[in-house]
Amino acid sequence: MQGNETKKARLTPMELVIKYGFLVLMAGLLLFFSLSSEFFATPRSAVFIFQSVSITGILALGVTATLVVDGFDLSIGSTATSALMLSSYVMVVWEMSAMWAVVFCLIMGALVGLVNGLLIVKMKVPDLLATLGMMFLLVGLQRIPTEGRSISTGMVMPDGRVTEGVFSPSFLYLGRHKFDFFIENLIPVSVVVLLVLGVIVWGFMELTRHGRLMYAIGSNARAAELAGTNVNRYKVLAYMISGVLASVGGILLAARLGRGDIASGNNLLLDSVAAALIGFAVLGAAKPNVFGTIIGALFIGILLQGLTMMNAPYYTQDFVKGAVLVVALVFTFALSKRGGAH
Amino acid sequence: MTLTRRLMLKLAGSALALSAGATAAFAGDMPAPFDNAGDVKIALVRYLSTGDFFQAYLSGVETQAAALGVDLRVFDSRQDAALQADMVDQAIALGVDGIIIQHGLTESMQDAAQRAIDAGIKVVAFDVNVENAAIPQVEQSDRDLARLALEQALVDNGNEFVAGYVYVAGIAPLDRRDETWVGVKAANPGINEVAMFGTLDNPIANSVANQARSVLQANPNITVMFAPYDEFAKGVKIAVDEAGLTDQIKIYSADVSTADISAMREPGSAWAATAATNPAVVGEVSVRTLAMLLAGEDVGASVIIPPTLITQDMLNDNDIKNMADLSAKLPQFAHADVSVPEWMPLPAR
Amino acid sequence: MQNTAVKIQGLTKAFGANNVLRGIDLELPKGQVTALMGANGAGKSTLVKVLCGVHVANAGSVGLYGAHYMPSSPAEAISAGVVTVHQSINDGVVPDLDVASNLMLDELAGGAGFFMNTRKIRAKARELAEAIGLDVDVRHEVSELGLADRQLVAIARAMAHKPKLLILDEPTSSLSAKEAGRLFELIDRLRAQGVAILYISHRSSDIKRIADRIVSMRDGKISGVFDDKPLDYEGAVKAMLGRAMSEVSLDIPQAGAPVLRLENMALQPDSKPFSLDLRDGEVVAITGLVGSGKSELADVLYGQARPAAGQMKLKGEVYAPRNQAAAIKAGVFRTPKDRATNAVIQGFDITKNITLPFTERHAVGGFIKHMSERKTTRRMVSDLGIICQHQSDDIGSLSGGNQQKVMVGRWMAEASNVLVLDEPFQGVDIQARRDIGAKIRETAKGRATVVMVAEMDEAVEIADRIVVMAEHTIKGEHRNENIDLNAVLAQVAGVESGQLNAR
Repeated sequence: MQGNETKKARLTPMELVIKYGFLVLMAGLLLFFSLSSEFFATPRSAVFIFQSVSITGILALGVTATLVVDGFDLSIGSTATSALMLSSYVMVVWEMSAMWAVVFCLIMGALVGLVNGLLIVKMKVPDLLATLGMMFLLVGLQRIPTEGRSISTGMVMPDGRVTEGVFSPSFLYLGRHKFDFFIENLIPVSVVVLLVLGVIVWGFMELTRHGRLMYAIGSNARAAELAGTNVNRYKVLAYMISGVLASVGGILLAARLGRGDIASGNNLLLDSVAAALIGFAVLGAAKPNVFGTIIGALFIGILLQGLTMMNAPYYTQDFVKGAVLVVALVFTFALSKRGGAH
Repeated sequence: MTLTRRLMLKLAGSALALSAGATAAFAGDMPAPFDNAGDVKIALVRYLSTGDFFQAYLSGVETQAAALGVDLRVFDSRQDAALQADMVDQAIALGVDGIIIQHGLTESMQDAAQRAIDAGIKVVAFDVNVENAAIPQVEQSDRDLARLALEQALVDNGNEFVAGYVYVAGIAPLDRRDETWVGVKAANPGINEVAMFGTLDNPIANSVANQARSVLQANPNITVMFAPYDEFAKGVKIAVDEAGLTDQIKIYSADVSTADISAMREPGSAWAATAATNPAVVGEVSVRTLAMLLAGEDVGASVIIPPTLITQDMLNDNDIKNMADLSAKLPQFAHADVSVPEWMPLPAR
Repeated sequence: MQNTAVKIQGLTKAFGANNVLRGIDLELPKGQVTALMGANGAGKSTLVKVLCGVHVANAGSVGLYGAHYMPSSPAEAISAGVVTVHQSINDGVVPDLDVASNLMLDELAGGAGFFMNTRKIRAKARELAEAIGLDVDVRHEVSELGLADRQLVAIARAMAHKPKLLILDEPTSSLSAKEAGRLFELIDRLRAQGVAILYISHRSSDIKRIADRIVSMRDGKISGVFDDKPLDYEGAVKAMLGRAMSEVSLDIPQAGAPVLRLENMALQPDSKPFSLDLRDGEVVAITGLVGSGKSELADVLYGQARPAAGQMKLKGEVYAPRNQAAAIKAGVFRTPKDRATNAVIQGFDITKNITLPFTERHAVGGFIKHMSERKTTRRMVSDLGIICQHQSDDIGSLSGGNQQKVMVGRWMAEASNVLVLDEPFQGVDIQARRDIGAKIRETAKGRATVVMVAEMDEAVEIADRIVVMAEHTIKGEHRNENIDLNAVLAQVAGVESGQLNAR
C-alpha cells in the first residue's frame, strides 16, 4: 500500500470529469428538480424514485451480469413478463400458494437462462441472436395457456372454466407492503429486494473469485480459458443469473399489478439495458459494474419523477432518457479513451 | 370393405343432414343468401389481436357467425399494416362473400377495401375509417363512453373538483374520448385539471402507476382522476393505493375486463365507475351488420353501439365477479339492440 | 538536404503526467534502412504512432522532404506517403475479405465511384502480390491464410501506396526464416528505389542483415546514432540500455529424474513418432520454424489437444489431461504466446492478472483475500523486476516487456511440475529477455521447464538442452555446450542429421 500516494497523485481535469462528471450531473438534476417542485425533495419522493426503478433495476443487474462476460441478454423483458404470467397462472388457475408461484417463477427464470447459455456456448449461436429467439419464444409462450387473455380471478378459460384462484395476500404483500423506516409505511418490499439483490450481486462480482473470473472472460475469453477457467460454465451462469433476476422482477411486477397482464416486456428490456449502460459512466468505470447500474437506474428514475411532476408528456421523457444514455456512452467511450491508453 | 365405407359415408351424411336441419330451424325464414348459410363465407381481417378486448371481440364474431351458420375465416396480421392489406387480397382470392376489417390504418386499408368492393364483396369496417361510402363503419362510441363516465363523476363530485387526467395523444379512440373531456371541462369551469400524464410503455399499468405516483406527490389536492382507458385506470389505482389516498380520490375510466371488475370491487377501491361497450357484443354486431349487407339491406353509413355505465355499487349490489356475470346480470351490457332485423338469429345466451 | 527524407525536431508527447517522448531529434535519409532499437517503454511505439497519425505530438515538428508533416489521422499519414506495417498482424488485414480486396483496401476506402470492378481489382492486386513475391491466390479469404502470409499481405498492402517513408514495426516476429528472407529482398528493392525505411526490431539477426544505420532510443530520447560501417551493434545495445550487456554464461546443472516422459508420441496421424524426457531442474528449449509442430506439442502438454498416438507419463503416472484445467491441476502450466490475444486481461490490474489461474488459492468461501493475492504479486514484482508504480497499476499502463513479465509471473507464482513457456521473449527487449531468462533458470529446480522459441539466439541463451522440431517431430537434440549451430540450423530446416554430410 506504500505506493498509494504516488499513484493517486493528481487527476487531470479531464480525468476528474470522467470520474465524477456523471455523479455531479445527477446532483445538479436533484437540485434543479428540488427547486422546481416543492414536493420533489421529500423522503417519500426519494423512496418512490427507488420504487419506480426497482423492477428495471433488478433486471438491469441481470443485464450487468451478462455484460460482464461480454454477452447480452435480450430476453430479460419477456422473461419478466413470463414470470408475471406464470405466477398469476399458478395462483389463479392452479390455485396454489404464493410460495409455489415464486418457486415456479425462479425455476423458470433459471431454465430460460440455462437454455440461453447452452444455445450460446454449446450451439455457438451468437448471444444477441440466441436471446432474440428466446425473447420471441417467451412472448408467444406466455400467451398460449390463456389464448392471449390476461389472467385474473374469475376469468373464463379457453375451455369455458371460470377461474376460482386468487392472488394470495402474502404474494400481494411483495408488491404492496411498506416497511416503517423512521416514517410509517415508507419503504416498499420491492425497494428492499432491489437493495438486497444489488448488494449480493455486487459482492459476487467484486469480492468473489467467480466474479473476478467472469470479468476476465469478458475482457479476454481466450486468455481466461488458457488460465484454466471454465469459460462455458461461467457464461451459462451469467445467463442463469440474468434469467433468475428477470423472473424476480416479474414476480414483483405481478405483485404490484395484482393480475397477469399480457405484455412483451420490451420497455423493461430497454430501460434496464439503458440503466446498465449508463452505469458504465459512473466513476469512470468504463465497464459493466453493479454500483454504476444501480446509479444508472436511479438516474433514470429521478429524471422521470422530476419530469412527470413538471407535467412533461411521455415523449419528452423518452427523449430525455435517450439523451442521457448518449451522454453516458460518450463519457464512457470517447472521453475515457483519450486520457489514459497508449 | 366397400360396405363399411358406404356405411361410413351414410353415417356422415346423416350427421350433416342433422346439423343442417338444426340450422334450418333458424334459416327457414332467413333471406338469401342465408337460406343456404353453409355456403356463405365471411372473413375477419384483424390488425390488433392481443389483449382481452380483442379476444372477446373475436369470440363475439365467432358466436354470431355460428348462430348464422356461416363459414368464418380469421386473418390475423398482428399489427402489420401491409400484411393486413395482403390478407384482404387473400380473402378475395378465397372467394369470400363478406369481409370484416377490424382496425388498421386508413392509408393501408383504403385501396384493399376498394378492391374487395370491386370484386363484389360486401365489407364492414370496425374502428377503422376506410373512407368508402360503400363500407359502413361499426363503432363503439368513444364519445359516449367518456360522456357516461364523466356524467357519473359530476354526479359523485359536483362540478367543482381538482382533476388529474391520463391521456396519450395520437391514439384515435383516446383522441375521441379527449374531445368529450375537453367539452366537459369547458361546460364546467369548476373543474381544475392540474396534471396531464400518460404513457403506453408496457406493462402499461406499471408505467402509468409510476407516473401517477409522481403526479400525486406533486399535486396532493387531486380528488378526481379521469383515466379513459382501463389500463390507465389500473395504473392510477395502484398509485393511489400506494400513496394511501384511496379515501380521497375517485377514478373514472372507460372499458372493462374481469380483472378490472375485481379491482373495482376491492374494499375501499378508488375506482368508482367505468363506461364500457361489451367487446363480444361489438363482434356480434359486426357480423350482423355484414349479414344485413349480404341480404341486401341498408344499414346506413355507421352503426354505433351504445356503451353501458358500470359503477362500483352496481357491481357490489349484483355481486358481479367477471365478464360473464356482467353479461348475465346487466342485460344492457349483454346485448345491443343494433343491427337486428326480424330474421336475424341471435347467439344463445 | 535532398538526401534527407524525414527530419524530426524536438518532438514531445506526454500521456497525462507521463512524458513518453522528451524531445526527439532524428533524420531519416532516403534510400536507407534505419533500424530503431529501444528497450520496452523507451518510446518507440509512441514515436511510430505519432508518425503514422494515431497520436498527435504535443510539440516539435516533422518535415517530409522539406514539407511540414503532422498527420492528425492514419488516413492523412497514408495520403502524405507515410505507410506503416504494424506489429499485430490482424490490425493490418481484414480477415473476412479476400486477398485482392485486402490489398486494395485503402483504395476502396478512399476511392471514387460506387461499384467495384472486381476484375480490375484482382489484376492490380496480383501485380502487387507478384512485386513482393507473395505467392497466394488473391481470391482466397485472408482468414484462410497463415500468420506469415497475412503479414506479407499487410506489407504488400502498404506497398500499394508507393510510400516515401515505410515504417515496419517488428515485421518478422511471426515469419519463418524463408518468409523473412523474402521480406528482406523486398526491403532491398525499396531501398534501391529511394524509399526511406524505419525498421523496428529486437532481433539482432534482422538488424545485422538489413540495416544501414542504427538509432537507439532510451527514456524518450535518441541515445545514439550509429552509421559507420561495419555497424556497431553492441554499441547500439549499450546506448539503448545505458550500459553494456554482458554475455550470458550458462552453468548447466546435472539434470534430475524425469518428470514428464513422452512415449512414442505422434502429433499428427502421419507424423513420425518421437519420445522425449523432461527432467527435474532442466530447461529444455524446443526450437523450430513456424508450423514445425511446436505449438501442437505445447497444446498436447497443456490438455488442449490430444496426440494422434503415444502417451505421456507425469512422475510415473499416465498423464492425459482432458482440458487446461486438468493440466493445471496436475501441475502442468503454460504461458501462451501472443500475450495480447492469449494472456493479457485488459482492464485488470497487475495483481488480478497474476493471480488469475489461482484465485481459488487466494479465496475463502469464494471471497478473495486481497492481502493474500497482493503478497503474491509483491513477490513476483520484485522477483521478476516488473517496473511499475504500484501493483494495482492497470496492465495496459505497462510496457510490452513488463506485461510479458507479468504473464510469466502469473505461472511462476505457484509451484509446478512442468512449466511450458511458449515464446516468452516475443516482443520483449533484450534487458527484459535476460531478466525473464535468468528467473526461469534460477527457479528451475523442482520442475521441468520447456521453452518454445523460434530464434536460435534465444534458445542458446536459456536452455540446458536444445530440441529441434520440424515436420511435427523431433529432428535432433543438443546439449547446450559448444553447440554446432550449423547442424542445428540444418535440422531446423528439416534435414535429418544423417543427411548433413551428404550435402
